[in-house]
Order: sequence, then C-alpha cells, then structure tokens
Amino acid sequence: MPGSVLGTEVRRVEDPELLRGEATYVDNLPIPGAAHIAFVRSPFAHAEITGIDTGEAEQADGVLAVYTAADLDLSPVRQLMVVNPDCVRMPLASERVRFVGDAVAAVVAETAAAAADAVELVDVDYEPLPVVADPEDALADDAPLQFPDLGSNIAAGERDEAGADILADADVVARARIENQRVAVVPMEGNAIAVEPGGGYLGGDYDLTIHVSTQMPHVAWQVAAKQFGMDADRIHLVTPHVGGAFGGKIGMIAEHQVVIAAVLRLDRPVKWVETRSENLQAMPHSRAQVQYAELGLKSDGTITGLHCNVIGDCGAYAGFGGGFALGPTRLMSQGVYRIPKISFGSIAALTNTTPTGAFRGAGRPEAAAMLERIIDVGAAELGMDPVELRRKNFLQPDQFPYETLVGATYDSGDYDLPLREALRAADYDELRKEQQRRVDAGETTLLGIGVSTYVEITGGGTSEFAAVEMADDGRATIKVGTSGHGQGHPTSFSMLASDALGIPLERIDFLQSDTAQVPRGGGTGGSRSLQIGGSAVREASELLVEKAKELAATKLEAAVEDIEVTGDGGLGVLGVPSATVSWAELATYAAENGTTLAADTDFTPDGASFPFGAHVSVVDVDTETGKVTPTRHIAVDDCGRVLNPLLVRGQQHGGAVQGISQALWEHYTYDEDGNPSTGTLADYLVPSAMEVPMLEASNTETDSPLNPLGAKGIGESATIGSTPAVQNAVVDAVKHLGVRHIDMPLTPQRVWQAIREAQNGAPADPWRDPPEAFATLPVREGPDPYADEAAV
Amino acid sequence: MQGSDAVELVRPDTLEEALAAKAERPGAVPLAGGTDVMVELNYDHRRPEALVDLTRIAELATWSASGGHVRLGAGVPYTRLIDELGDTLPGLAMASRTVGSPQIRNRGTVGGNLGAASPAGDTHPVLLAAGAEIEVASVRGARRIPADTFYTGVKRNALAPDELITAVHVPSAAVPAEQFSKVGTRNAMVIAVCSFALVLRDGHVGAAIGSAAPTPRRVPDAEAFLAAELPWGTDAPLPDSLKRRFGELVAAATEPIDDVRGTAEYRTHALGVLARRTLTWAWDDHRGSVRACA
Repeated sequence: MPGSVLGTEVRRVEDPELLRGEATYVDNLPIPGAAHIAFVRSPFAHAEITGIDTGEAEQADGVLAVYTAADLDLSPVRQLMVVNPDCVRMPLASERVRFVGDAVAAVVAETAAAAADAVELVDVDYEPLPVVADPEDALADDAPLQFPDLGSNIAAGERDEAGADILADADVVARARIENQRVAVVPMEGNAIAVEPGGGYLGGDYDLTIHVSTQMPHVAWQVAAKQFGMDADRIHLVTPHVGGAFGGKIGMIAEHQVVIAAVLRLDRPVKWVETRSENLQAMPHSRAQVQYAELGLKSDGTITGLHCNVIGDCGAYAGFGGGFALGPTRLMSQGVYRIPKISFGSIAALTNTTPTGAFRGAGRPEAAAMLERIIDVGAAELGMDPVELRRKNFLQPDQFPYETLVGATYDSGDYDLPLREALRAADYDELRKEQQRRVDAGETTLLGIGVSTYVEITGGGTSEFAAVEMADDGRATIKVGTSGHGQGHPTSFSMLASDALGIPLERIDFLQSDTAQVPRGGGTGGSRSLQIGGSAVREASELLVEKAKELAATKLEAAVEDIEVTGDGGLGVLGVPSATVSWAELATYAAENGTTLAADTDFTPDGASFPFGAHVSVVDVDTETGKVTPTRHIAVDDCGRVLNPLLVRGQQHGGAVQGISQALWEHYTYDEDGNPSTGTLADYLVPSAMEVPMLEASNTETDSPLNPLGAKGIGESATIGSTPAVQNAVVDAVKHLGVRHIDMPLTPQRVWQAIREAQNGAPADPWRDPPEAFATLPVREGPDPYADEAAV
Repeated sequence: MQGSDAVELVRPDTLEEALAAKAERPGAVPLAGGTDVMVELNYDHRRPEALVDLTRIAELATWSASGGHVRLGAGVPYTRLIDELGDTLPGLAMASRTVGSPQIRNRGTVGGNLGAASPAGDTHPVLLAAGAEIEVASVRGARRIPADTFYTGVKRNALAPDELITAVHVPSAAVPAEQFSKVGTRNAMVIAVCSFALVLRDGHVGAAIGSAAPTPRRVPDAEAFLAAELPWGTDAPLPDSLKRRFGELVAAATEPIDDVRGTAEYRTHALGVLARRTLTWAWDDHRGSVRACA
C-alpha cells in the first residue's frame, strides 16, 4: 500500500507520558480518604485452622475492621478455566490452608503501615498437616491429600488409549523426562486495586467504582457484578496504566473480592497494593510441568510417532495452570512436524504450593520446549544435524490449512522460511566450524548452537468490540475492548484508523479499559489484540467511511460511488478537486441532520491463528565451572503481516528475554515443607541487561487468511521460541561428551554436574518411567474441550 | 510498630555520640547503607531494640593513604571505593564491582559488609588475602583486629557489644597483583555461590575463600605452597602443575554446605577452578610489573 502508514516504523504515541512519569497507576490515583487492606497469610503449606482471634488486631490504632471468611459472605474464587469444580477456593480460607501465602484474614486500617502492623496481631491457630510440594510425589498412593473427598491429588487427567504402542514401528526412540520448571510472573507492578463507594472521585451515578490493574477489565467487571449480585450498569470499572501483566492479571482474584466486600461494608474507599513478597507468593505461578516424552524415529530421521505423559502442577485449589497439560500443551504437541501418530496422557496434579495460572505463552511454551528438546535428543541419537532432522519432518507450505492429529487447524505456514533466515543471520556453518575447532583444540570454553522451530496458537475464541467516532473538531476517537498495557495499542490502532480516515495520528484519541466508555471487551491476552481488536478498529473505521461517504454525497451533491477519502483530512468527489468536505464539517453536518458520524462493530475472526518461527541461540559453556554465557540470540518470528515493525521488535525482545531467562535463571522452588525457597528477588533470578546478549530480531511475513490485517499474534512467540533454543544450545555444547539432556534452569552447578558425570563415563540417562498414575487415567473421548481455551 | 516492639532510631552526628549510644544500648544495630539490615527488618527476621544510624557521621565516610596503607572509613560506599581507590586497592575494588547493583553499591559499605559478617560477603576474601586490619572503637577506646581473627562464626564477628567498626586498614598494592573472582548464577544482584581472592606481594601470598565455610577464611596450606614455589622476581610463566596443585590445596581447605544456591561438592570443585584461574591472572599482573621494571 504505497503512501500508507501501515507497515512502517511509527514511534509509540503513548511513550512520552510513560517516560515523563505522568502515567497513572492504581497506587497513585488521587482517591480521597482511602483506607488500606493487608492480608493475614498462612505460614504453613497445609494445615487445619482451629481458631482465629482477631480481638487484639481490632483494638489496634488505626484499625477499621478485621475480616475472616465468617464475616464476609463471599463467592468462591472464579478462575479463568475450571480444572476441577470440586476443588473450591474461598477468597479467605476458613477450615484449611493449602499453600504458604493462602489468605486467612484481612485487616482494614487508616494507613498501610497500621494494617501491616495489625496483621501481626491476628492470632491464627493452625494444626499442621502433611505436605506435598512436588507434583510427582503428589501422585504417590500414600501422598497427603489436599481435597480428601477427591480420593487423590489428580484434579483432572486423561490419556489416549494407544500409549507407547505407537512407537512400535520406530527404529530408534528418543526418550527424556523433561522438567519445565515453575516460574513466577514478576510484573514490575504487582496486583493493585482501589474500590470506592458510589461514583468515587471520577463521579457518575454508580453504586461502586473499581480501579484495578488487570489485563481484562470487562471480564473483571462482569465477574464482580455476578459475584456481588449487582447490576453491571451500577458498577464503574476502570483500569489505569498497568505495570506489566504477562498473563498474571486475569479476572477477579481472591484479594479483589475481599477488597470489594470491605468497601460494601465500610462504605469508604479501600485499596490494596500488594508487596513484592506477596506477589511472589500469591500471584499465580506458571509452567510447572514434568514431561515424559518419547519420539519414534526411522534411522533416516523420519518421525514415526510421539508419546507424551505430562504432569501439570496445579499448585493449590486446582490452579488452572495445571490444566494446560490437558489443554494447550497437548494441542500444540505436534509442533511444525509431520507426525503420523501421537498418544498423549495428561495429569493436572494438586500440590501445596501457590496456585498456577498463565504466564506469557500459557501451555504453549511447554509444548514447544518438550518437542524441540526431544527432537534434539533424537538428532543426537541418530548422529544427525538437528537442523537436518527438523527439515526432514517439516509440514510443507502446500499442506495449509492443516488439521493436526490433536485437533488444531493451522491457518498458514512456511516453516523453513524463518529457519533459512535464522541460519543465514547466524552464519550456522561457520558456527559449527568454530565449535569443532574449540573441541579439537581442547579448549575449556565450548561453543553451543541451539535451534528451535516452533508454532503456537493465538487469538483463539472470542470477538472484539471497536468503535470509531468523529467529532466536529475533526478529531477521531477510537474505543476498543482490548486493554493494552505496554503493547502499543494506542499507536497501532491509531495507525489503522489514520490509514482508513486519511487523518494524521495526532488527530486520533484512544479510549480503552473503562466500562463507562467502552460497552464490552475481551481484554488483552493470548496475543489477540491486533489480530482481533485491530481488525475491529479497521472494520469500524471502514464502516465510518461508508457512513461519511453517504453524508458527503448528499452534502456535495454527488453519487456515493464517486466519493473518496482525500487523504488530507476529508472526503471529496473523484476528479473534482474543488468538491471536498473536511471531517470536521462532515461531523457538524451529521449533527445538523440528526445523526452522528460514528460506527462500531464486533469483529470475529475465522479462527485462531498460528504464528511460527525459528530461533538460534549461541552460548559459551565454561566446562570447568558449568557457567553458561549466552552470546547471541537470533529470533526470526513470523506473525503474519506486520503493521508496525518497531512494536513487533519490542515484543520479540521482551519475549525472548523472558524465554532466555527461563532457560538459564528463573526457578521458583519449595522445600519439602512447602516453604518457598526462592521467594525474594535476591533468590528468584530475573535477568538484568547485563545478562542478556544483543538480540538479533527479524521477521518473515506469512499472512493469516483469517483476518483482514493478515496478522497473527506476536506477544508470546519469542518466549516460546527462545527457551528451547537456549536449552538446546547448552546441551549441544557438551553433547560430544555424551550429555543428552540437562534440565532448566541451566545453572552452573547443573551443567557442571552433567559434564562431570559424562567425563566419568556415566552420563545421566535422561529417561525414567513415568508415574504409574498415568495408566489409571480415563481414556480421552470426543472433541477436545480445551481447544478454544488455549490462549491467555 | 506497636508498643513494646517499637524500634528506637538513634541518629548521632559525631562518632563520640555514636559510641555513647552504642555503650548505652549494646543491643542496638548500627545502620550504614542498610542493604543488609533493612532487608532483615523488612522480613521481620530481626527486630532490634534500636538502630544507630551512622550516615550522619562525616568522618566515617572519608579515606586517607599513608605509609603504604589506606585507612578506609567504614561508611565509604562501594561506588566511591571503586571510583577513588580502584588503582590503590585493586582487589577490593574488583570485589566491590561485583556487589549488587549500582543502587546497592551507592549505599553499601565495606564497614557494613564486615558488620553483617555473612559467609557470602563479597569483600571478605579480599580483606583476608590482603592482610587488612579492622579498626573498631568504643567509649573504652579504639583497637585493631586482624581480618583473620575478625570472623568468628556464621554472621558473627569479633566485636564487643559496645563497639562499632570505624575503618579498615588495607595495605595498598605497589604492584597490582590482586585478583577476585566468584561464581554466581546471574552476573549482577546475586549472592555468590562461592568466591576467591588472591594477593601476591614481594614473596607474600594471601589467599582466601568465601561462601565455602562457616566464615570467610584464609587457606594457609595453599598460601605457603605458593609463597615457596612461585618464581618471584622473574616473568616466567607458571607451569600447569603448579596451578593445579594450588587449586587442589584451596579445594581441600573448603568446608562448604549444600544450600539452595549450590551443593558443597560444586563449591569445592568451583573454588579449585577459581583458584587456578585467579593465580594465572595475578601472576600475569606480577609478570607485567617485572617486565616494566626491567
């Protein structure tokens, strides 16, 4: 589209206020007279509550109220996905606590300090129960049960009947038990909510005003109305700036319910801004899978079948992250390959740990990590180059749309395209030569080269609302139901409206995340926003242009077919340069004629889209200390047609850093009593700029046929592609020693241990038999109930 | 804070006032940069009767050099140590560069590191290897404690309850043959899995380990071996066998534990590697100075 702004590097229009510190976050909102809430949290991973004495706390200075479950008539916590409806979580625990950090009581006080002090005065009697913190231990016959009535710690589970039989015709089977470790989401801003009675400081006729840091304001709004038995129209919910979410800020969480209930009782504003320690204990963790993968191969490298048994750790209360093992991880298990047979067993296991949920990728990174790892194990077994093995088994461009064995319909793809580009950018052959040179020279710092080729699912499910309105000053306003928080929506969506209306970006205003302004919305998650919300903005813009053309035709006395958008701020008659009307004049004209110059739509895509790509990681491995230094990372991600390369690159950078970090540093661990052992940012290692190499991010563009933009999601792709590339690179550096697998995070200690075992002639066998519980699972039937819930 | 749990904050302007306050309240915890103490308070790991804020005492934040020694005030932050004493105390500056983040280096001090006496404190191995002395004071007077008798147990030191750390005296490096290295999972903002410091000076060898025993400690057998075997005064490269033996002796002197950051076995192994490597680097420094004099 020559001359169009679409596809160009437009700088982010929302950045100046962020950079100047003018952004609004929940904690800085000017809410007069807000009281503060603090939670009494369980120090035990599993215990019965035998008594709660709030007397002393209630008498403390500045304390307004102390609430236990008995004081508040609260609904159960509603998760995004229900893994097991019998594993009910109440916002405040009353009989039993099930993880360290489980909220038991809430203190409301005049100041945050008074609330924190009074928390210490609430006396809770606990009778400790046996703890199980490890998802495989949770499956043992004698494991302590979190919900005794359930009879086991399996919140959900199913298997395909075939099992390992599908490997019968393989020449070689690559096997590995792979841990996809538990990670924390760690947004810069933790959870935060401020609730006011009535219209609050913003005004308006409401019973309740909620300011909440979330990805999905309209979802939170509807759930709040339902939980508190209120008419949604009586609630005003606004989401100000959000300091990161990454899947961790979805819906109405336990603490939100308590804050709202406190406001309804006290009739004054209350806010809760969680501390970093609370965030690391109570915001859902994610990943947390143990994967038993077996890949059947012919000796020429042809894949014959894939058998997986995957345990998803739900944490406490059947956290929905554990359900990913049955849902998106299985759904994406075929990856980019021709695999003739897949048999998949899944268990969602209960442990006495923080409930799990979504984090950038939500079940798909786990699928890609498992498959890309086992492919490399297979390549090592066969003595094949891992690139060659991948290429031999790629699905081919003429096979799309392609329905996989596990029920996904891939919209479009050309999997060798980004791989070729990534290998070219990396100079793969030269890297292989340098790798061999170091081995031959006996150097102690070896080179590792890791490849991953992935596909993932984005934008599944629902439709999205958008409206575009033209005011009589010639300014357009976009209203949209997505809820951007750093992704660049004000820029990208304005580009779409600017292109359609022929007005500059500076004359476009952007509104989101306010239930008084935007009637409905699905929010932001699952990399859905541009492809669905953006398509809605484009569609609404086009509808507005249609309406404008009709008005202009009347005003300019011409045929509608002859009216065109002029590109300089108005409409005109084709071939008659003098016959024009500006958008401002047209908006006035519309008002004079009793109508408005506005249009809205609900856009529904024709299905989920499947972005893909290839990453190459280059690492140095110090074989004496085991220390890994990532030196290069090449990310070639194909997200369909690119609207703004700058925004895409930003998502690739952020995504890749989080993915690299999972491979090398991050790990949320518990001791055997269920106490967090990496519960602070001194122990839970998020990366700094010092750790990460310069990122070499680029794109190939393979359009999606499912939306008018040709776009696919990019928000999670680089996280999915990067982790296995780095892990493969580290193992690649030492595979000549006989090392086949090292679990993440690849700490110096783990890498050194793997090297030492191999050098001692006894490299660790990455395989052991999966827990017997898999054999007892019910056999899967019918269509996959999780297919549309992959993306959050 | 509530009632009897309240922590008194004492903010003396002079050292005399601070010493008097400490004498009156022996349970008071001195506060310099706060990078250790405030973390413990925030997590409620300790709740002292009082905090003595030392940041107003100007003389603690100064340093001076004379007679081949630097007297480094206990309140000089790492950032100033790095900027102002990088050439004079290269080993200590090297260790300081690995502390925390820029924000932590702006506040944290060597005095505070000594006060906390964590086995993982970054500056301890260098102070031990360099033969530093810790100057402490009380209303009873001042004294100096050699670094190798300062650390008495896990997070315990040789201070009397009424004493404050006022300075460290560190021999300055005529020849910059001082090296420090550590293993951490992340480059910045990470507590060391293990660390090692080596100082070579005119026939003298100082070597010390961190995070590998209940206290930071010197490794006397390894020091004695190296002092005897190094070809001092020459610029000859070191034979691999010598470096290996040194590494073995250092590894043999460790007494580590398993914890969430690493196993004892890994720490012992890694210290052997760090010892070998730091010896190579420090000897290269030494050879460079020999060649410069020739």
